Amino acid sequence: MSTYWEEEEADLDDARQDSLKQIEIDLLLEGIHRTHGFDFRHYLRSSLSRRISHRMNVEGLSTITALLEKVLHEPKFIDKLLNDFSIKVTEMYRDPGFFLAFRRDVVPFLKELPEIRIWHAGCATGEEVYSMAILLLEEGLLGKARIYATDMNENLIAFAKQGKFPLKRMQSFTKNYLQAGGTKEFSSYYTTDHEHAYFHPYLKENMMFAQHNLATDRSFNEFHIILCRNVLIYFDADLQNRVHDLFIDSLSASGFLCLGSMESLISAHKPQYEDFNAAERIFRKSE
Amino acid sequence: MLQNVRLTIRTKILIGYFLVICCLGAATIVVSERISSLQNEIETIASRDIEIQNLITTIRYNAISMETSQRGFIITGDEAYLDPYIKGKKEWEANYNILYPYLSDNPAAKKILEEIKLIIENWIATAGEPTIALRKDNNTQEIIDFFYEDKAKQDIDLLRIQFENIRQTEIESTQNHLMQLENRNNNLIIGLYTMLLLVSVAAFMIVSFVSGTIVKTIKQVVKSITDIASPGGDLSTRINVTARDEIKELADATNALLDNVNNQNWIQTKVAEVATMNQGINDMKTLAESFLSKLAPILNAIYGVFYIRQGAGEQQRIVKIGSYAASGEEEGIASFRLGEGLVGQAAVENRTFLLNTAPDHPIIIKSGLAQVTPQSILVVPIEFEGKAVAVVEFASAESFTSQHLKLLELIENHFGVAVNNVAGRMEVERLLSESQVLTEELQAQTEELQAQSEELQMQQEEMRMTTEHLEEQNLFAEQKTKELEKAKAELESYSEQLKQSSQYKSNFLANMSHELRTPLNCILILSQILSENENQTLTPEEEGYAAVIHSSGNDLLALIDDILDLSKIEAGKVILTMDEVNVSEIPEHMKLGFSPIAEKKGLSFQISVADDVPAVLYTDGQRLQQVMKNLLSNAFKFTETGSVTLCIQNADTESIKKYVPSCLNDTVLAISVTDTGIGIPKNKQQLIFEAFQQVDGETTRQYGGTGLGLSICNEFTRLLGGRIVLKSEVQQGSTFTLYVPSRPNMEKEQLAVEHHEAAAAAQDIVPAPDWMEPTISQANEFEVSLFKGKRVLLVEDDSRNVFALVKALESKQFIVTVANNGKHCLDILQQQTGFDLVLMDIMMPVMDGFEAMRAIRQDTAMLETPIIALTSKAMKNDRDKCLEAGASDYISKPLNMEQLFSLMRVWLTKQVGH
Repeated sequence: MSTYWEEEEADLDDARQDSLKQIEIDLLLEGIHRTHGFDFRHYLRSSLSRRISHRMNVEGLSTITALLEKVLHEPKFIDKLLNDFSIKVTEMYRDPGFFLAFRRDVVPFLKELPEIRIWHAGCATGEEVYSMAILLLEEGLLGKARIYATDMNENLIAFAKQGKFPLKRMQSFTKNYLQAGGTKEFSSYYTTDHEHAYFHPYLKENMMFAQHNLATDRSFNEFHIILCRNVLIYFDADLQNRVHDLFIDSLSASGFLCLGSMESLISAHKPQYEDFNAAERIFRKSE
Repeated sequence: MLQNVRLTIRTKILIGYFLVICCLGAATIVVSERISSLQNEIETIASRDIEIQNLITTIRYNAISMETSQRGFIITGDEAYLDPYIKGKKEWEANYNILYPYLSDNPAAKKILEEIKLIIENWIATAGEPTIALRKDNNTQEIIDFFYEDKAKQDIDLLRIQFENIRQTEIESTQNHLMQLENRNNNLIIGLYTMLLLVSVAAFMIVSFVSGTIVKTIKQVVKSITDIASPGGDLSTRINVTARDEIKELADATNALLDNVNNQNWIQTKVAEVATMNQGINDMKTLAESFLSKLAPILNAIYGVFYIRQGAGEQQRIVKIGSYAASGEEEGIASFRLGEGLVGQAAVENRTFLLNTAPDHPIIIKSGLAQVTPQSILVVPIEFEGKAVAVVEFASAESFTSQHLKLLELIENHFGVAVNNVAGRMEVERLLSESQVLTEELQAQTEELQAQSEELQMQQEEMRMTTEHLEEQNLFAEQKTKELEKAKAELESYSEQLKQSSQYKSNFLANMSHELRTPLNCILILSQILSENENQTLTPEEEGYAAVIHSSGNDLLALIDDILDLSKIEAGKVILTMDEVNVSEIPEHMKLGFSPIAEKKGLSFQISVADDVPAVLYTDGQRLQQVMKNLLSNAFKFTETGSVTLCIQNADTESIKKYVPSCLNDTVLAISVTDTGIGIPKNKQQLIFEAFQQVDGETTRQYGGTGLGLSICNEFTRLLGGRIVLKSEVQQGSTFTLYVPSRPNMEKEQLAVEHHEAAAAAQDIVPAPDWMEPTISQANEFEVSLFKGKRVLLVEDDSRNVFALVKALESKQFIVTVANNGKHCLDILQQQTGFDLVLMDIMMPVMDGFEAMRAIRQDTAMLETPIIALTSKAMKNDRDKCLEAGASDYISKPLNMEQLFSLMRVWLTKQVGH
């Protein structure tokens, strides 16, 4: 009998711990929002919870509340958390098939336009921004293109602005470039030192980097193309909805929305787009 | 007439046929009558004429046979010949009597016949009888006379003519009869044709009338039906037939059918409407609402509720999800258990309930103006596969009709499917969205994992790099260690040598100083003697020289002593003489020694001794005094005005803890020398304890001295187990505090060893190696280390290119192997392995680059080795062919060396991720 009760109690305890943890996470996110303005309240809890656990492990903290304390009282601590929360998995020509499809199917439409405005929402360290710039350059479109690259993490933006990427990832970037239908020599776009490859500054001429938070900020221009690849997956349905509203507001008529390989439009927004290339997740705004 | 009397088609046809048959009958009767009369006549004519002819012939025969017989008899007189006469005489009159009536209608013949009778009677009377009688009397004369006269012959000739006449007359008469008969026949034929015509006309008229009436109504019906059946025909059109026959019945039946069809149609339409309405609805509530709002007006219902079966097993409930015209959500019970109430019962039994009066039903339907209580309530289960999936309840202010029920019955089945579909679709949608969420979650996790694994990978790579770095360092360290060991050995030998030489030096110094002292002493003594000039043999000037020599000699001596001390210390040759030192004596000694100097420099020299100082201190008194003297002499040396104070007291515990923690349990004397001299800047305070150091060069120039004093003091103090602590402010003065422990148990040898260890420890500190500190040239070094020793296989046939490339690569410290063509390259690869990178020209003799690359990639060991294809810019297709053949990357000729090196950096850098 006693075992049974103990088990029961253990279960209850677990449940209590869980709900406590949720409250703590709520408080932490609220704290971050109120003190630093970053709104993670609508990020996927499961993901956040893992990132938080990770940070707690690194810092040797036993409770989330301790983490909150650090957030509130250590001015620099938020940067660490921001870095934890913004998952910056990206690579040049990530999903080469997408870039191939973009080059083959979308570029012909772009050639008609007098100017092209592209928004990379959630550009992280900017690999895809440079990929797009090279693609446009090879298609003779870079001159009339404006690429707006935004991320909520200023550190990442600062990194992206440099246009330098570690050598130790360049081989896979090269492979991707070749698979994505690159027409020139990839090596002609960069120089190297012992650690980094530096992409040529002329690629950056039409790039604008800015901090922009999809969770809180509003639309800032009208774009012909919005790329938001593998960003929405970290958001819950509400936030995804908000972001999609934002995108619809920001897309010009017949503009293109490009999502990550596993992402899809939420049903509420499906009617607003037509499938342009469903396999590569390129959608076109219905007229 | 027809309008009033009900004439069926059968009657009409019967009448028609009857009339036709009647006509035919009449005709037949007339014809047959005519034929029989004709027959009669023909028979009459034939038999009478034959009879007449016969009789005429018979009479003629009678007359002839009478004459013949009379003649025979007359001739013969034989009575036998008289028989035909007698017979003829008897017969002809009978025949005449028979014939006569026959000719009654022929007066001409009759007249002739009467004449014939007269002739015969006349013959008989005149010729026959008399002759016979004459014969019998045998009156032959008379007979001959008679025949001579022959009156009878006239009669017979007349008779013959008369008979011919009558026969002619009779033939004519017969011919007349035949003519008549023919006429009548003709008339009959005409009559027959006429009759046929008449009957035909009559029959045609009857038929056309009858068929007319029939066809007309049928056409009317057909037209109506065609109209109805035609596309866009109005099903509500009804067939209107004025006739009161079967067509009317048909029309009525058709109308009934149409009504039925109309009803059916209405039901079907409604069913279809409800069914189409269901399409595209993916939400049960919407479905329920639209179902109710569609159906309620159709059923004239003023109130409707939709319940759906939810849950499974015992938990199953019938839950309200939609309502029509209900006032607010509370209207209608929100849910039922199975079997609970009519709704629950309907669900269980799958049965429709119709309550035509619902007196107790509490529902009051509110409109804008009034409240209505329903009169009729209908509870209908919606079933799917025999199971009620939903229940609908309607209330109406009127009664529900059977058509409504029928409609519901039909809809029920369709709608059951729809409900099931929607439920299925909702389930599918739910599962889909769930799976979508899961997919996204999965993707998020994947990304996270990817991020983590990337992070891990990076960490791993970093660790590997660190490891490699460490290994390198290790190797380096090993080398260093070896070198160090060697160096150490060397050093040891050096140090041995040094020690020896130091020993030699010290010995030398010691000896030297001794050897120096001796002559110096001579000099000192002699110079002193000279300077005293007791004999007055020297001029004052010379006397001054001698004093300078003396003081210089003293300085030299002090220097030699210092050097000697230092060298002794360094050589570990200081021998401490630990002994009881009378503390109270120390001030005296100092006073004796320094008061003159103080006086000379005009400084005040104060000595204070605390009361609680121990009387006796165990230490090397000589060394202690030496240190104190040194400190005091320094103090006096660097102080121009003010005072020098010597203060002896017990050290407080804090100072002991701080400065000489090893002597916490001992008595420690703190002897401080305070001056008001130039002071020592903070940054130089440590320096001055080192050998040959003074505050600065200027100081040296101004104050002289070797700078050995303090370092010797320091060393001695350390040997005594104490410490010198300096507090000083520039231009304010300095305080040197000497902490000396009392060490009654200390052995001399021990101290010496301690010192050795200290010296050895000091030697162990090796200056930090260069590589610990990043230098500006690090990049180059790294590049050299990235490129250095990397083996590159250059496959190129053009010797000029080879020359240039090899030069450039070797300048970056690559180890370059050259192959002249693909074949050569493969040969080389078979013999050697471990190339870090292959530069592959494409256009080559024997075997070109494509083939070579394909062959290289066959070798599993070479799968990952980067191959950079050197393509020609002109050949655009080469690019893809290169990649297909297995090139990792390509660069086009003419080569930009900077680009090539960039590329090689990329392909020689260890990768993270993927």
